[in-house]
Amino acid sequence: MDEQTVKRVVTEWLDDNYHFGDAATLIGGDEDKSFLQSGILDSLGFVKLILHIEQTFSVEIDRKNIVPANFDSLQRIAAYVCSLPGARLSP
Amino acid sequence: MKTLHLPFDGGLAARSQMAEFCTGAERLTGQAFQGDYLRLHRWACEDIQTFWKFFLEWTGVPFSGSSLPVFEGQGIEDGRFFPNLRLNYAECLLRPLPDVADELPAVVYRSERGEREPMDRATLRQRVLAIAASLRKYGVAAGDRVVAFARNTPETIQACLASAALGATWSSVGLDLAPAGVLSRFQQLEPVVLFAHTELPNHGVCRPVNEQLREIVAGLPSLRLLVLLGGPEVGDVGRDIEVVRLESLLSTEPLSFDELERFPFDHPLFVLFSSGTTGPPKCIVHGAGGTLLEHLKEHRLHSDLRPGERLYFHTSCGWMMWNWQLTALASGVSILLYDGSVSYPDATALLKILNQERVNVFGTSPAYIQLLRESGIEPRSLGAFFDLRAIQSTGSILYEKQFDWIRDFFKAVPVHSISGGSDIIGCFVLGNPLLPVYRGDSQSVSLGLDVRVLTDTGVERTGTGELLCAKPFPSRPVFIWGDPNRTRFHDSYFAENPGFWTHGDLVELAELGSARVLGRSDGTMKIHGVRIGPAEIYVVVLGIPGIREAMAVEQEDQREPGGRRIVLLLVLAAGKVLDREFTLRIKREISKKASSVHVPSVIVAVSELPQTHNGKYSERAAKDVVNGKKPKNLLALRNPSCLEEIARLVPPTG
Repeated sequence: MDEQTVKRVVTEWLDDNYHFGDAATLIGGDEDKSFLQSGILDSLGFVKLILHIEQTFSVEIDRKNIVPANFDSLQRIAAYVCSLPGARLSP
Repeated sequence: MKTLHLPFDGGLAARSQMAEFCTGAERLTGQAFQGDYLRLHRWACEDIQTFWKFFLEWTGVPFSGSSLPVFEGQGIEDGRFFPNLRLNYAECLLRPLPDVADELPAVVYRSERGEREPMDRATLRQRVLAIAASLRKYGVAAGDRVVAFARNTPETIQACLASAALGATWSSVGLDLAPAGVLSRFQQLEPVVLFAHTELPNHGVCRPVNEQLREIVAGLPSLRLLVLLGGPEVGDVGRDIEVVRLESLLSTEPLSFDELERFPFDHPLFVLFSSGTTGPPKCIVHGAGGTLLEHLKEHRLHSDLRPGERLYFHTSCGWMMWNWQLTALASGVSILLYDGSVSYPDATALLKILNQERVNVFGTSPAYIQLLRESGIEPRSLGAFFDLRAIQSTGSILYEKQFDWIRDFFKAVPVHSISGGSDIIGCFVLGNPLLPVYRGDSQSVSLGLDVRVLTDTGVERTGTGELLCAKPFPSRPVFIWGDPNRTRFHDSYFAENPGFWTHGDLVELAELGSARVLGRSDGTMKIHGVRIGPAEIYVVVLGIPGIREAMAVEQEDQREPGGRRIVLLLVLAAGKVLDREFTLRIKREISKKASSVHVPSVIVAVSELPQTHNGKYSERAAKDVVNGKKPKNLLALRNPSCLEEIARLVPPTG
């Protein structure tokens, strides 16, 4: 699993569910931009995103690890998902 | 087999206001209810005149005139309660109460920005009566419509009660509703005053709404006055109307209660909105007396709220629960208001406030419970919630596992799964201190509301089917705005089952007295607790070139907060393809022109939409197939074969 794939999946999901084509513009090339602080995603959105990540990459995320350090930017999500053993794109 | 959520607490039942009322009713009637709610309820429905008169007197609300006759007229559709009685809603909420110190907070405001502003009853009363005096100087009079584009703050409450004090009719929406949606509601009312906030703080970001506000003002030619409730100046509104800040209305000498007129029981107090499958949103007009009595009953008897207790119900100004929590002031209850995101700066934000403010009754939604659960948050680890004694939930179905989660990870208190709606500005099914809580169920039907169910065998007291009400009730809407012949009123509630109120919900009424609402029986949807009429989506998507026909239906999906999502079925023009770019454009348009809650989770192109022989679209048939149910009455459809394609493209979830 490479980080670019995770970033693409997350950006597409943001477009499909919250920003409808504007996700890349909102992130603005800054992959470390905080989703929470910049209003890209709220807590309810994170819950839905995590469910999507679990389904898409065939992983189960321990609820204790749902913290901003792992999920509050495109880069952090990509790095965290790639660190999970067995993460792979679901067929 | 129903299972208990908690062991039944007989002591709590015996000390409840419902028990006290039951004893009073026994003395009055000579009947022996013996604390049996089902007997009490049967009596209240069989003798509505005695019940409602006794309840009115029991509440002690101030009124003039006579409480007789209790009811006059032909029946549930046309009859009137208390035709000779006059009252003032604002006076009933704000008057000094014998059991409540005037220094006790009436409202406590908390915000995501960390603000805390308590306001005692005396101050709230004085401010409301000063604003009322100012509005009177501006010419606001009984029958005028006053509207608000506002957040849930103390200022909004003051504006509402000042308007009600003068007999004006109040209607409000939240700042999340797009201007087109606001105007489709408010334009019908031809309001003279608009109260508005000019910024929306949400999740750490404070977004100005001046542009939306200017568009709203431009679309309301009847406006004479714009009052800013908070936020920066609005600038040029492009219209020759007076623009003032709420503070400037406070400098007028407050009116006294003696200077307030008391109005008929049916005097229009609130307008709530409901959007269906066709036409503009329906403006449901509720009377002051009916609203007040129903809320007092739900607060004092069913919720057992007492003077000095603290209530928090999570709501915006655009939902009937805002009006519902407001009336709690009439019972001497202190209302906690929270302004902002429930999960800012983190998902525990609201919980910490509930604990700090020692909330006694917490009202929320299944979506919020699911947010906490999915986030791995255990409220019990954040605080003791010592004073919390009931959790209420509404907006969508609260499933058994969510009852369990509340008991195991939040607090082992009764859960009231309550359900009703804007149409009755109250609840048909709700909590009840005299009855046990069964997992997944509402404890009972509301006292005095003769709720029945239309099953395959007819109108019954128990069973599963369409929710009906068989007897008149005071919180029935007084009329629909812009419906002088009462045609829409009749068609909305009485045409389907003459002689009964048809609510549009599917319900299961159990022998034990508990109830379970199973969803809507008509085309309207409930997404994240927000009621959405498909027409609100159609008006947007049918304006997009390339879309010929559209149908939006609700699909159950346990993974979604609230357990449901929107599926949009489209028939496209020849040659048009529903690719990713077009799908995103449709979503963007809906988000911009309706709201983000209206955005469908699933959009698919189909060759045909189900229609009846006279050409009416059948949302019900499409909804059945996407939820894996066999559609009823296929013979009524002109093109039943199109359902096979829909079932294939949108299979049931889970």
